[in-house]
Amino acid sequence: MAILEAKDISSGYGEVQILWGASLSLEEGKLTSLVGANGVGKTTLLRTIVGLNKPWEGSIWFEGEDVSKLSAHAKASMGLVLVPEGRQLFTDMTVYENLEMGATAQRSRARMAESFEKVFTMFPRLKERRGQKSGTLSGGEQQMLAVARGVMADPKVLIIDELSLGLAPVLVLDLFGSLKKLKDEGITILLVEQNVQMALAVSDYGYVLAEGRNEMQGPAKELINNKEIRSAYLGI
Amino acid sequence: MQQLSLLLTSLPDGILLGFVYGVAAMGLTLIWGVMDVINLSHGPIISLGMFGTFFIFIKMGINPYLGLIPVAILGLLLGVAIYFIAVHRVIDAPHLSSLLATFSVNMIIIGIATAALTTSPYNVDFNMGSFDLGFTTILGTRLIAAVIAILVTGGLYFFLYRTRPGKYIRAVTNNRAAAELMGVPSTQILALSFGLGTMLAAISGALIATFFPFSILSGAGYELKSFVIGVLGGLGNPVGALFGGLILGVLEGAIPAFMETSWVPVIEFGLFVIILLVRPNGLFGAKE
Repeated sequence: MAILEAKDISSGYGEVQILWGASLSLEEGKLTSLVGANGVGKTTLLRTIVGLNKPWEGSIWFEGEDVSKLSAHAKASMGLVLVPEGRQLFTDMTVYENLEMGATAQRSRARMAESFEKVFTMFPRLKERRGQKSGTLSGGEQQMLAVARGVMADPKVLIIDELSLGLAPVLVLDLFGSLKKLKDEGITILLVEQNVQMALAVSDYGYVLAEGRNEMQGPAKELINNKEIRSAYLGI
Repeated sequence: MQQLSLLLTSLPDGILLGFVYGVAAMGLTLIWGVMDVINLSHGPIISLGMFGTFFIFIKMGINPYLGLIPVAILGLLLGVAIYFIAVHRVIDAPHLSSLLATFSVNMIIIGIATAALTTSPYNVDFNMGSFDLGFTTILGTRLIAAVIAILVTGGLYFFLYRTRPGKYIRAVTNNRAAAELMGVPSTQILALSFGLGTMLAAISGALIATFFPFSILSGAGYELKSFVIGVLGGLGNPVGALFGGLILGVLEGAIPAFMETSWVPVIEFGLFVIILLVRPNGLFGAKE
């Protein structure tokens, strides 16, 4: 059964419509990626799913419940967590405090000690720097913290927008490795990436978005070998 | 020599007063920092705090320092109410909207209070004795007010840095969308912050009323001082506000030793303009 489903979503900003009936369905425990060129509405779709934007049309279902009208903090409390593009850390707060803020919901606060251990094992660097203000971290460390903060929320579905943006390839490999570990622990992951090849390589399933609509979808292995995708996004 | 003795007489008074100014400014700067709203109803809320002391002490005979507790609670609730009635709907609108909204609240409070209490001055004759330092005497009420102001600042600092709701306030200040994504109910946190800001205003008013006469219009002067202090300490930086208040208090204590007292506001606001030009983030830094 799908843990998260977005059905025929239309949305945008002000007068400008970005999404024209995009749909998405996440299989529980799988890593799904959403790819597409710059500006096709990937981030808008994520913002609409988590409640930062309201859907103009269509509905969003989480664990069989219609959550279309819920606020972002309510959805986060249910375990639908977004790691936003550009990290969006609390830059004036310490690494530790950022992680603490991740565990805001009742259910995640109950498991805070456990979650701290988990993220510090996953990212030992963050443990070393836990007293440091997050704004002073390097780009890679900030991205680790953004993911770790999301993990602190004890998510059922973790959505990550542009994990690799602006990071050195070695770091990106590391982070993708961490995602696999999270998946193995049973967290359903939706990954949005401009780095199409990398994203599809680690994913189970993939969606291709173009001009605010679904263009293609299928098992990641098939997509990565698809001729159109290879020429449009992979430049091969 | 004469100036030096004048300075020694008035400086301690100014410094003590400065701490109380600091608390008023902290309220203004907290609200600005968290939600980018300049609260133009700050002044009348300071005045309401003053009347709080009046009613609690004169009418009910309760010790005004004990009276700070109900004044603080009422100030908090009033702020939460103002937030939901007037501020929430314009929270994401351009600054002009929130300025007008809080200015309307300002006019409403002044209007009602003028009708009910007139604008003639009230006086709380409260005596806590005085201390002779040799070169000057310090009023007990001012000393206690300064001590309470420092305790309130410490309390606010503790709240913001050591408690969960306080950390939520800092998180929302820092990045409201991200806080919302972490499950922080940002609307409630904004309302709480606004309530804390008005609570601080009410407390400072309640303290000032123990040594100065006042009317519903008196708060306006302290609101203006709060702007100067806020800019000195860095708007959005509550702890900087205490130091800003101290600087203003020192100025108010020192200037009368060298020139007419009527020059005080000229120098204060001259300083205000200079700091805005030279260090717009305040002497102690703050958010960009």
